[in-house]
Amino acid sequence: MSEIILGSKSVQLLIALILVSTFMILGSTRLYSCVRAFGIQSFLLACVAGIVAYSTGKNDLYIVAALTLVIKSAVIPYIFIYIIREIKVKREIELYVNISPSLIIGGVLVVISYYLIRSINIMSELSGFALSASMSLVSIGLFVMISRKKAIMQMLGILIMENGLFLGAISLTYGMPLLVELGIFFDVLIGVLIMGILIFRINKTFESIDTDMLKTLIG
Amino acid sequence: MLNTYLFFGLITAYLVGAVSAVILNKNDRLSAYVSFLSATLGAVFGIIFSVSILSGNSFASNLSGSSFLNIGFFVDKLSAFFILVISIVVFAVSVYSTGYVREYFGKKNIGYMGFLYNIFVLSMILVVTANNAVMFLIVWELMSIISYLLVVYEHENEDSRKAGFIYIVMTHIGTGFIILSFLILAGSGGSFNFETFRAAGSTMPPHLKDAAFLFALIGFGTKAGIVPLHIWLPYAHPAAPSNVSALMSGVMIKTAIYMLIRVSFDFLGAGVLWWGMLVLVIASVSALLGVMYALMEHDMKRLLAYHSVENIGIILIGIGVAMIFMSSGRPELAAFGLIAGLYHTMNHAVFKSLLFMGAGSIIHSTHTKNIEEYGGLIKKMPYTALFFLVGSISISALPPFNGFVSEWLTLQAQLLSVNLPDNITKIAVLFSGAGLALTGALAAACFVKAFGISFLALPRSAHAEHAKEAPVSMLAGMAILSMMCLALGVLPFYVVRILDSITTELLGTSIISRISFDFTIGTLSSFPAGISTTWIALLVFVFLPLPVVVYMLMSRTHVFKYETWGCGQPVSTSRNEYTATAFSKPIRMWLGSIYRPHREIQTTYSDSPFFKERVIFESGIEPVFERYLYRPVTWVVLAVSRIMRIMQTGYIQTYLLYILITLVIALIYVGSGG
Repeated sequence: MSEIILGSKSVQLLIALILVSTFMILGSTRLYSCVRAFGIQSFLLACVAGIVAYSTGKNDLYIVAALTLVIKSAVIPYIFIYIIREIKVKREIELYVNISPSLIIGGVLVVISYYLIRSINIMSELSGFALSASMSLVSIGLFVMISRKKAIMQMLGILIMENGLFLGAISLTYGMPLLVELGIFFDVLIGVLIMGILIFRINKTFESIDTDMLKTLIG
Repeated sequence: MLNTYLFFGLITAYLVGAVSAVILNKNDRLSAYVSFLSATLGAVFGIIFSVSILSGNSFASNLSGSSFLNIGFFVDKLSAFFILVISIVVFAVSVYSTGYVREYFGKKNIGYMGFLYNIFVLSMILVVTANNAVMFLIVWELMSIISYLLVVYEHENEDSRKAGFIYIVMTHIGTGFIILSFLILAGSGGSFNFETFRAAGSTMPPHLKDAAFLFALIGFGTKAGIVPLHIWLPYAHPAAPSNVSALMSGVMIKTAIYMLIRVSFDFLGAGVLWWGMLVLVIASVSALLGVMYALMEHDMKRLLAYHSVENIGIILIGIGVAMIFMSSGRPELAAFGLIAGLYHTMNHAVFKSLLFMGAGSIIHSTHTKNIEEYGGLIKKMPYTALFFLVGSISISALPPFNGFVSEWLTLQAQLLSVNLPDNITKIAVLFSGAGLALTGALAAACFVKAFGISFLALPRSAHAEHAKEAPVSMLAGMAILSMMCLALGVLPFYVVRILDSITTELLGTSIISRISFDFTIGTLSSFPAGISTTWIALLVFVFLPLPVVVYMLMSRTHVFKYETWGCGQPVSTSRNEYTATAFSKPIRMWLGSIYRPHREIQTTYSDSPFFKERVIFESGIEPVFERYLYRPVTWVVLAVSRIMRIMQTGYIQTYLLYILITLVIALIYVGSGG
């Protein structure tokens, strides 16, 4: 059982780092660094999956870890960078909520998540920790979508939420069945492609990807 | 076993029609022929199937066994009768359509039309055979949406889009009430299958029964077009292509009648007096107001649409009277009323489809719906004129055609109310009989106008002057239904026999031996009275040659032919003709308090006040229901929406914020042990 304890320590470290990477996204004003932070977050998530795979001995999870590594920390960031380069968008993200209030709100969301998970009171220390982090990721992802103007950031926000869900699933139940997992990866990839195309369309129609412009669509 | 083959055969025929229409879309002509002939085939299956059910046992088939969504079919004699009505009309209309859609070749997507047409017919068949509330709602909604798409088929036309909008809003309000009614029934019965509804009907507490009935009446009444929920009919039916109007007005609104009978007699047992009174009052008002507004219409298809409101009223009078008798414990009298209602359902389907097809032919060749621009069409389109005349006589309830038989039966059913114990009810039902008589008279006036102004005299516009007779396929479609009008008129004793088997199954009492004699149908009263349209028809054919004989005898005398003396005015221009507006003027004056007519004359003078340059005359009637019922409701809805609109900022971020706030509050609520 020593492996699992070892696993839990290192997993805790990784989860903490994932949270840090999330705050990197919140605290950055440049598109590239946001994408980079997302790549790092996904890489850490792949490591979590790998460790869980090693300590539980489920071979399926190695595939999941590898897929996370390839799709989320390489392919998707590449798509992001491709979009940013192609539509020659200004590299700064514009905000509704400034950096420092963003960080504070992010912190508050994390605290709320921890408080809520504690009150659920059903699991061991590790899974409680992971679940709180997962819920923090979901709410911070949503907050990123709310507080940033550029359509790319909305896309990034939903991917952060997805990462949060993935973290929750892998640490609570040691992963869903492989088939489901594969389906989700496929969904995410296709989702990113579609959102990318939509961003191109938005850019073409409004000559900007500021979501401000979309309010002209209401009657 | 044969029935199963026939039933699934007819479903397959319509599906094949729908799919092949889309596949053959490249070739307009081929697509039209294959899809409409496939529909014709489906209709033939439908006729054989329903006749086999009507003369034998009911048919049931289950494709899955869940109690929520049970894909099951149940065809008893009532369902079979409606399948028969649908199939007869679809048969004729499909033949007609092969010619009618030529107008759209190259302009519109024929495959799309063929697809919708077949699915629309199929959905109506499924509506009258569904045996589960959830399945019923699915096919009902399918029927509504497909018919909406057909209404907006000419969507480049703004009127069509507006009509479609009104239609889809009204029909969904109706569906909402239907769902409420079904939920009440399912709540008492414990499942969504119609058998449990039947069982629930006898055990439900009275107030729930009342609620279920009322909701069903509003819901199905919206589809049927009872006043004041008729508002969509005069918009939607004219906007659709004429073959579709024929189906919508002829049979689609009958599916609502089917469900009303099903719910009130089959499920709820029709045991309450005021239900019948309510239906009777609504029906009489619908019949009267429908025909009154029809008289004021000069748009051919709107005029026919208002007549649908009238005829739905007449059908419901029969049903309402039946409900009153049922609640007074006289099932044999109720059966008589129901027979009258069902007979009129069949008749209206036949002659209204015929009239809509006739209107379609006229519009096809004149490209206008305004009857003021017709005139003299009897010379250009003699066959269309003949068929339209048959339809007009039928709808005006003149013997020997079918409208007469069913309206006579309805009137007799109303007169049978002298057998009722309660005096107030007795008088009320007799009064509604007077209303029905007035309705018949006004309908005749209206069709004198519709036929006379359109077909007689001289052409009133270039459109009418260049009119041409419709192609053979269209005439064939109308001919089939004209024959049906005559057959249903002169052979009522056969039809009554079929209808009696339905009411026997529904109400448990057979009255055929008391109302059907040799070539005669009779009433149930203590002084049995009978009428034989067969002999009337023979009499007509005996006297028909009489004018010819007289003419032959008179022709020996010398005849001068000269123009009519017109006080020195030139008579022979179409500008001097009697117009539809003028024809309906006396009625507009008599019923002024209902119509609230208004008119406006604007005169522009040239230099001197003695020389008029231009006179603009405008006249109209007040759309009472739109102004005093629908406008306030729309206003409230819009006002509320305007307030709600503050929430709709258009920023994605705001919507996400709503989600986040909801999520956090929900989580805190759950987390704090809420």
